[in-house]
Amino acid sequence: MTAAALAFNTLAAGQVLATVDKGVITTAHIMRWSAAVENFHRIHYDQAFATGHDKLPGILINGSWKQHVLVQLAKDSVGPAGWLWRLKFRYKKMDLAGDALRAVSRVVSTRAIGELGFVTLAIELLNQADEVSTAGHAIVVMPAHAGARVPYPFEPAAAHREIAFPHED
Amino acid sequence: MVTQADFARYLGMKGPVKRAHAPLEADTLRRFVQATMDTDALHHDAVHAAATRYGQVVAPALYPVHAFRPPAGSPDNLASVQQDPNADGTYGNDGVFFGLEPIASPFKRLLNGGNEIEFFRCLAVGELCTAQARYANVLLKDGKSGQMLLVDIETEFRTEAGELLLINRQTLIWR
Repeated sequence: MTAAALAFNTLAAGQVLATVDKGVITTAHIMRWSAAVENFHRIHYDQAFATGHDKLPGILINGSWKQHVLVQLAKDSVGPAGWLWRLKFRYKKMDLAGDALRAVSRVVSTRAIGELGFVTLAIELLNQADEVSTAGHAIVVMPAHAGARVPYPFEPAAAHREIAFPHED
Repeated sequence: MVTQADFARYLGMKGPVKRAHAPLEADTLRRFVQATMDTDALHHDAVHAAATRYGQVVAPALYPVHAFRPPAGSPDNLASVQQDPNADGTYGNDGVFFGLEPIASPFKRLLNGGNEIEFFRCLAVGELCTAQARYANVLLKDGKSGQMLLVDIETEFRTEAGELLLINRQTLIWR
């Protein structure tokens, strides 16, 4: 379910707002990403280099790919009428080829300022063992009420900047 | 041992304004969103996109960080792995520093301390983007295992016309 079907004033802390399930990420997926962004680091496709030279446990899923999953998650969370304004995350654990990855967003807090509803989300990327490999927060903007609209491009006002990321970041 | 004064000159230092080698092409975007497994029609369907507030096909909001590629005719970065069997394949990859002068330090091990990104608008097909990085914070700290250097690189991505797309603040930790 995404926020497209939700109204700002119905959101509650702890509510799951969106999930993005990517399934098993194979070496083929990693190769497709590496080629698309022209990142030729051998830890992403050369098993002998990754495990022998760099002493890694296997082929690494790109951190750059994972951050785009979080962007997609936040975008899906707020729906087509909203805007992903801010994103903050840290890598906590490596993900390896063969891991099944999914991302989840949960509402932390909401605040309306004028026509705009600001939603702070906790975002996590997890593997098949429910281990969190990447975590952080997003602040997304959605219409605060029916008929309101989020401006595009989004140019935050001074009052909007009073909304900060949670302290655990 | 180094001191904070050794790094004072880097604080606030800006890199050059880097210009993507080409405007965003629809097929480049196709490959990108297929690789991220994002099926949103906003990124490939012109009719759909025209009916949205974006008015045209746009890239995912974070795409601009990957818009900078070696132009045709430039030296082959993969020559590095032909010349050195231990080369990691990243020669020529400037996706973090965007031309910033490297910080001279005795530290060897680099860790990614996380990212904080602010988004303003998406890059549209046909638009060309630019990037300029600066050292927003350079802080020497004493940790349990010795000294470490915390560096925040703040990179602004804009359209060629100067419209702000996003600001990416990346924290790097050298030990």
